[in-house]
Amino acid sequence: MSPRQWLTAYLAAVVAVSFLQDPHWLAAGLVLAITLSGRRRWVLLRRTLLSVLVFNSAVSLGYLLIASGRGGFSGDYLLRVNLRVVLLVFLGLWFVSRVNLAAAVSFSPNLSFVVTLAVGQIQAFKCVLRDFRLAFISRNPDRPALTDRTHHAAAQGQNLLEKSVHSASEVAMAMRSRGCFDD
Amino acid sequence: MHIPDGFIAPQVYLPAYALAAGAWWWAARDLREGLEQEQVPRLAVLTALAYAVGLVMVPVPGGTSGHVLGVALLALIFGPRLAFLAYSLVLLLQSLLFGAGGITALPVNALAMGLIGSFSALGIFRLLRGSNESLAVVAAAWGSVVLSALAVALVLGIQPAIAHQTDGTPLYFPFGLTITLPAVILPHLIIGAGEAVLTLFVWRFAKSRKWVPG
Repeated sequence: MSPRQWLTAYLAAVVAVSFLQDPHWLAAGLVLAITLSGRRRWVLLRRTLLSVLVFNSAVSLGYLLIASGRGGFSGDYLLRVNLRVVLLVFLGLWFVSRVNLAAAVSFSPNLSFVVTLAVGQIQAFKCVLRDFRLAFISRNPDRPALTDRTHHAAAQGQNLLEKSVHSASEVAMAMRSRGCFDD
Repeated sequence: MHIPDGFIAPQVYLPAYALAAGAWWWAARDLREGLEQEQVPRLAVLTALAYAVGLVMVPVPGGTSGHVLGVALLALIFGPRLAFLAYSLVLLLQSLLFGAGGITALPVNALAMGLIGSFSALGIFRLLRGSNESLAVVAAAWGSVVLSALAVALVLGIQPAIAHQTDGTPLYFPFGLTITLPAVILPHLIIGAGEAVLTLFVWRFAKSRKWVPG
């Protein structure tokens, strides 16, 4: 399947899942998606569960308390909403693990331009932040005082922006030299 | 304040997609022609910054999350059109890469945080700029967070009324406006202060590098 076909299939699946109300169908959809997702299925499922855990727990617990207090508790509701959320998030993570996002949106030059820039910048940010964190740890064997940490964070923030602008300028120049700004 | 995936009824998110599509088309018109060469890396950096700060989330009892947006900063430096577009991209990437927010919630999140957030920030800033610029930046950032939170709370709170079974059991988000309004807005009154500090810090940095339009 081409990236564009993946995108179409993913979006169609998302809309279909959002209309499903029967927990059995939602569970069947989740089992099907897990089965089809290949060797990375358990990694994807783990990431899915971790990303929904906190928010779904908050909503489920809140519903349990409020609906029980009012006498309108429905176990079906909890099952339905949690299965739907897990299935939707799993589909999203599966889609991204299989498809290059920039290739999937290549039908729009504007969109692929912005996606390429932003994704590249996010990767650069992650590297810079990791370097800063490691440098800070290596230079401070003892825990520094709050004032020192505040000053350090402010200086790091400024340096981070400078460094990021520099790396983004390089990315933009590289894109320009390859004709990305031309129609 | 991302609305998670699966909590918005199709009766809401499909029309929201139609509305957001119009707004995205309007915002993306003449994007590459209008974007000056030196703006591109700055936009990429501040979009990535908004992405990074938005991932530090705490769940709030109303079923959404509390976090700094960064959209006011984008709006003050690049204008509301680019800010809306850039923030929509942030939301898309957060949902696909981290499962934060979601594809069904994307148009509502984008309209609430990206569009309302950027226009309210710019409006407040222009209103107060004459008296004190730093105060205007702080108020713009705080106001954009609180107004975005209000929009999110309203959309979430109407879900049980829009989509429910005959016995009243909700099909999507379970809490009504009496719960979502205080639960979402009150934490964001405090989160808005964090947004204001971050925005002022980066605003001063941007001003010192002459990134800010006159």
